[in-house]
Amino acid sequence: MAIEEDRAVKAAQDTVVRETDQGYRVLGSPEESITHQHDTDRIPRRDITEEDIVDSAGDPESWLTYGGNYEQHRCTTADVITPETVGDLELEYELHVGAESSMEGTPLIVPGDPPVMYQSNGPNHVKAIDAREGDVLWSYTYAVPSDVVLCCDDNNRGVAILDDKVFMTTLDSGVVALNRYTGEEEWYTSTADHESGYSATWAPVVYDGKVFTGSAGGEYGVRGFHVALDAETGDEVWRTWTSPDEEWVGDSIEQSCATNWMTATIDTENEKLYMPVGNPGPDFDGSVRPGPNRNSAGTLCLDMQTGEREWFHQESPHDVWDYDSAAPRMLIRDFEVEHRDYADDAVVSLGKTAWSYTIEADSGKLLNRSEPGVQQLNMFRMIPHIDEGRRMPFMPGAMGGNDWQPPAYNPELGLAYFKMNNSPQEAWWRFEEYEEGKKYWGGILEDEIDQPPEGYNDHISAVGAVDPETGQLVWRDWIDSDAYIWGGLLTTESGVVFGGTQNGDVIAWDGESGDRLWEYSTGDTAISGSPMSWYDPETEKQYVAIQIGGSGWLRRGTAGRDDRLCVFSLEA
Amino acid sequence: MTRQQITIDGRDELTDALGISRSDVGERPTLSELRRTVETETDPEFASMGEAIRDDMARELDADLLASELSAFEEQIARLPEVRDAGIPEGAEEPETLYREVVQPAWRLYDHLVEAGFFESLEERLPRFTPNHIERTAHELVRLDALSEELDELGFDEREKTVLVMNVVNNNTRLARWVPTKEIPSDVEFDVEHVPPLHKRAMGGALLWVNSMDVHLWQKEVLVTEEILDDGYWDVKAMLAGVDLIARAALDIAEDGAMSDSQLVAALTGGAAIAIVNQEEICKDVYWITEEMRNPTPAR
Repeated sequence: MAIEEDRAVKAAQDTVVRETDQGYRVLGSPEESITHQHDTDRIPRRDITEEDIVDSAGDPESWLTYGGNYEQHRCTTADVITPETVGDLELEYELHVGAESSMEGTPLIVPGDPPVMYQSNGPNHVKAIDAREGDVLWSYTYAVPSDVVLCCDDNNRGVAILDDKVFMTTLDSGVVALNRYTGEEEWYTSTADHESGYSATWAPVVYDGKVFTGSAGGEYGVRGFHVALDAETGDEVWRTWTSPDEEWVGDSIEQSCATNWMTATIDTENEKLYMPVGNPGPDFDGSVRPGPNRNSAGTLCLDMQTGEREWFHQESPHDVWDYDSAAPRMLIRDFEVEHRDYADDAVVSLGKTAWSYTIEADSGKLLNRSEPGVQQLNMFRMIPHIDEGRRMPFMPGAMGGNDWQPPAYNPELGLAYFKMNNSPQEAWWRFEEYEEGKKYWGGILEDEIDQPPEGYNDHISAVGAVDPETGQLVWRDWIDSDAYIWGGLLTTESGVVFGGTQNGDVIAWDGESGDRLWEYSTGDTAISGSPMSWYDPETEKQYVAIQIGGSGWLRRGTAGRDDRLCVFSLEA
Repeated sequence: MTRQQITIDGRDELTDALGISRSDVGERPTLSELRRTVETETDPEFASMGEAIRDDMARELDADLLASELSAFEEQIARLPEVRDAGIPEGAEEPETLYREVVQPAWRLYDHLVEAGFFESLEERLPRFTPNHIERTAHELVRLDALSEELDELGFDEREKTVLVMNVVNNNTRLARWVPTKEIPSDVEFDVEHVPPLHKRAMGGALLWVNSMDVHLWQKEVLVTEEILDDGYWDVKAMLAGVDLIARAALDIAEDGAMSDSQLVAALTGGAAIAIVNQEEICKDVYWITEEMRNPTPAR
């Protein structure tokens, strides 16, 4: 059956994402969620265990969790592609997923004959795909309520897999579990009231029989939380507010935001979760939420069994620049930091502040802060009040630095790779000029500025490498464009780094030197997806998959929509 | 500016606000000098605001509790030099309690004021920070008999005492951003219902900053310099002086003490202003550690 006749795809196509003064609205979604089956018999019946996911870190044939492994290194051990061979990489196939919507996801691969890919995109559309042939096996579209309001597009960044299920967060702040073999709904759990501003866009993660999922709505005055659900039933196991009451003044906690809107990193050995946490609320008017607003804009560590808070490392205290710390954390085992006489597990975080932080995994103590990945101009200066009559462009702007774009880590080279924006913005704080119906964040954020700050180098974004031990910026490749860079990175253990750009290029860099080794133009549309890779022993090829298409934020969202999944291959 | 220096510009702004001729005081005037020179006329509007607050709160506040906790708090403020000398809290897995100990009695004061509805009364009775209100506050503060002695007891020297008053006068613009909750438009994107009263934000915010110093300094030890610690010492000390002023005013209400009604308002407004201005300073001095400020790393 052709994809044109796919009812779930049709439903996703009929869903319209409209930007309003209050954010993005999702309209025209189906009344009920739809599964369309094509060839479900082709999916090998082999339940995926937690052990499989743990082992997938060293398994070149698997990509079983959002970050490639629980530690979120986004590093494949498949070794067909090397710096020497990557120049021969070719397009294997292009699949049109059918819905020209947000394409920020990372597909997963379950090894087998054939390998099955689970790929998702906006608006809450997921497919099972024969990854060898590029055939859709089933597809599913979730019925998103029309009163969901989203800050930044109808994003969905990926799914999780365990046993016979695939789990997807839903835009109305829920999690849906589907039968992995049939695409049919098994359970749905709402984690919060979307009418209060909550939503969900990230890939959940599963371990210890639990689905771990967070919260979004940091521009809508919600209170951030993280929640564990029973993977079998969807029942809530525990729930933790990201911020404790005693860290905020009075009722300001009620709209403290500090949402956890990207995937948690799982420490299977110590049964801990390390998660990114976003901006405090409201975004720009700090006077209504005095104090450092602890547990916002940094890394939160929770006990996996109880949800109890262990520590919090803050990157932007009392933030007034929307400096979420959103990118997934990378857990590095037995990490040696010679100049600190440290040899134990470390958590590496790349934030909107443009620094990379290397933190003791046990305590949250900072071991090392890197050189800035991009320019810091007028940074940490209090944004002006409207009556001061002056504009103050600041860098990094509200998109970072490193926003949600997942970094990658190559344990062989000991380098972490990032995608950062280098774009000034202006913000100011006001009450007096509030106009009804206009989005208002305790201030105004302006991304089309009159004058860049003095010293701006005119490069809008960069891809680079940082050494988490020393904090040294090892290499940096400036990327120029009219739009900002989005999407994550992939590294091969052999030393190649892959990423898409806002100009529609897929690039392979030498992980050690930053030299460009291979480039492929997919057209003019931006790439917002994060690449991943696997090896198929049947074809003896290593594949790299990446979703092509933009996503929107603040009117400078990467221009245009696309609906392609590009899969590249190289034969051994 | 809140640094401990008294600049010529700062002094001029202060004397202008107090209606004092610049030639009547020295280059770095002391509080006593200012007090001798300033007019002694009481502000009737201030007096009526103060009276209303006294009427609201006289029966709600526990004088014994306030007196004992204030005494304990002031003992803690006097310990600040040894806290500074300790530098960065020690601890293998978590920081020892240094700064948190300093503010423990202050939290008990704060909790009592919250329970008593103290901040709601101030919200209702006091205006927002306008230049005029701030000038009048400074005027009354300078005339507050006990202020200088109390600050002496807390370990403030003459220069520091003047700087505290300058904090109030010379930060009109910054203080104007801190709007009483009742004056925030109801249709802003955040829920005004969840915004605490202004003076609660001032006092609670200051205590939160001090409270988090232990974990902040301990976690960021590799970035922290002696200069950061020195600046933080002053910011903490100044914030706590602001908190102390608010608590003293509350005690005066509970005991029907010696402050005039207008001085009561000055202590409350001035205390809040000092707490606010210096919590904005501690962000820049201690928490927002830029590349230029940071302790260099031996690794690069």
